[in-house]
Amino acid sequence: MAAFRVTRCLIRDSARLRNVEQKSAVVFRCARRTLSSESANNSPTDGRSPQFSDEEVQNILTKITGLDLQKAFRPVKQELKPPTYRLMTDAQLAEATQKAIQVAKERLKMPPVLSERKLIDDVLAEDKFLEGLETVKYVFTDITYNIPHRERFIVIREPDGTLRKATWEERDRMVQLYFPREGRRLTPPPVFKEENLKVVFLQDRHEDILDLCLVQFEPDSPDYRRVHNLTYEDIDKHGKYDLPCSTRHFGGMVWYLVNGKKIDGLLIDMIQRDLIQDAASVIHLYHMLHPQGSAAKEAGEQQAQGIDLVKIFARTESQKAGYVELALQAYQETSTERSAQSSSP
Amino acid sequence: MATPMQTMIRRLRVSNLILSAWQATHQAKHPVRLLAAPASRSFCTAPDQPTFDSISRYRERPWEYLESEEYIEKYGSQTVWADYRRNHKGGIPPEKTRKTCIRGDKISGNPCPVCRDPKLQVDYRNVKLLEQFISNHSGVIHDPTHTGVCMKQHKNLTRAIDAARDHGLLPFRVPFVEFKMEDYSNSHGAVTKTPPPSEAGQAGPWYSWYQWNQPPEKEIAKVRQVYHKYLKEEEPVAGQ
Repeated sequence: MAAFRVTRCLIRDSARLRNVEQKSAVVFRCARRTLSSESANNSPTDGRSPQFSDEEVQNILTKITGLDLQKAFRPVKQELKPPTYRLMTDAQLAEATQKAIQVAKERLKMPPVLSERKLIDDVLAEDKFLEGLETVKYVFTDITYNIPHRERFIVIREPDGTLRKATWEERDRMVQLYFPREGRRLTPPPVFKEENLKVVFLQDRHEDILDLCLVQFEPDSPDYRRVHNLTYEDIDKHGKYDLPCSTRHFGGMVWYLVNGKKIDGLLIDMIQRDLIQDAASVIHLYHMLHPQGSAAKEAGEQQAQGIDLVKIFARTESQKAGYVELALQAYQETSTERSAQSSSP
Repeated sequence: MATPMQTMIRRLRVSNLILSAWQATHQAKHPVRLLAAPASRSFCTAPDQPTFDSISRYRERPWEYLESEEYIEKYGSQTVWADYRRNHKGGIPPEKTRKTCIRGDKISGNPCPVCRDPKLQVDYRNVKLLEQFISNHSGVIHDPTHTGVCMKQHKNLTRAIDAARDHGLLPFRVPFVEFKMEDYSNSHGAVTKTPPPSEAGQAGPWYSWYQWNQPPEKEIAKVRQVYHKYLKEEEPVAGQ
């Protein structure tokens, strides 16, 4: 699907480029950017750090997120209906489980992590003779149906005669007005203010607030980034790593923590849950993103795998080294006990 | 009719005096404010009753009333509407409760659970009161025929519950909306700086879409498929 969108962009761009010889750096940049950001088979090339949408990164994150069917389809408060019962053979039950797994995988698709969008600051015309004629701003929106919202022209005529392109907030509001999206409000609800977010975090509703944020804001808007960062910080501060586990927000959280070099709490939590492979994958991702660190170099020298990676990391770059090593010790003791118990009878 | 009223008022005054004396001896935290208010305002019509300012105090901090001893004494651990029963003619109650209990200064007989206690403030901040009117199992606001509140208070409650959910004070189920990936490159001319027109010898149009662009083959095929019955023959039959 991403490949198709790439080719569609390329064909559109090539059609425009055919008769135009001008430099138009914008269009070239566009083509190169679509190639670089949306291509499916992309390994980190020399000089460029891995991005969120890289295949390797996505594979690691999906593996760490896991797939807990009990959590994905847990009972929620909704309109009560009488339950339905179905009589199934074993084969039908297996088929139904497979279908449920497919649906759960759809629900676990990760939303993108993008850098913040650049401000739009473009004046198209300054007509001073229109000054004083009107007392209000006029917003002109192109409501053609078949164009993407990011290619829509929305311009504003100020009372002093300036014709300028609308800012991102104004654009979002106008697009929501004419093409309303399900669940999105025209003005963002007051939940997203700092003091109300704190109350929500006390109620352990991080998943809900992230879902609301996803519906309300665009992924590259500053509000989206701010709410997500605050949520991830709170999860990290209180160690509530099992809340986003096996949801579509877990990948984003891990990406944020790895970029901010705050993976200690997460590692301790994973070791305590006996998820050593996941902890090793997190550290592998960390080395991919920070290859200049001492831990990465040592791991590269020793070609460490699994629990050895965790030990090297705990020794070198970890901030809570003591806790990580304690957790590792506890895990090793329990694993030796378990192997002794299983081998003895 | 006058004498039972007077005896009741006298009894209330006596009980008030006893309560105030008790509180003075036990050094209550709020010696003036927690005097036992009469159950409904219709008893407050006598001119020499002391003016209770507890109502205005609870207007600013509505959640305090739900933790006070008075509330616990009155309702215990039940909901405020648990012991209320509507009065109506016949076996089947009307589908809507009364429009409002309080018209101007007059209160109707058997007022609804919210109107009968003036200290209960319907506000988006007192979550404990609002939760009593939401079903525990389905998260749906109870019907007014179930709780017995008048239609005006039901509207107030609905607005307060929506406001509480907007402020994040009341948990509710967030519907799952599937996220659709768009093209986030932000490279179209609509959202970037307009490139300046090339001065000498315009190589082509300013924006590339100002001129005719051949549409992609797929779009043409789609349109042809939709209108295939009306398409004229492209090659005219030669000779005729």
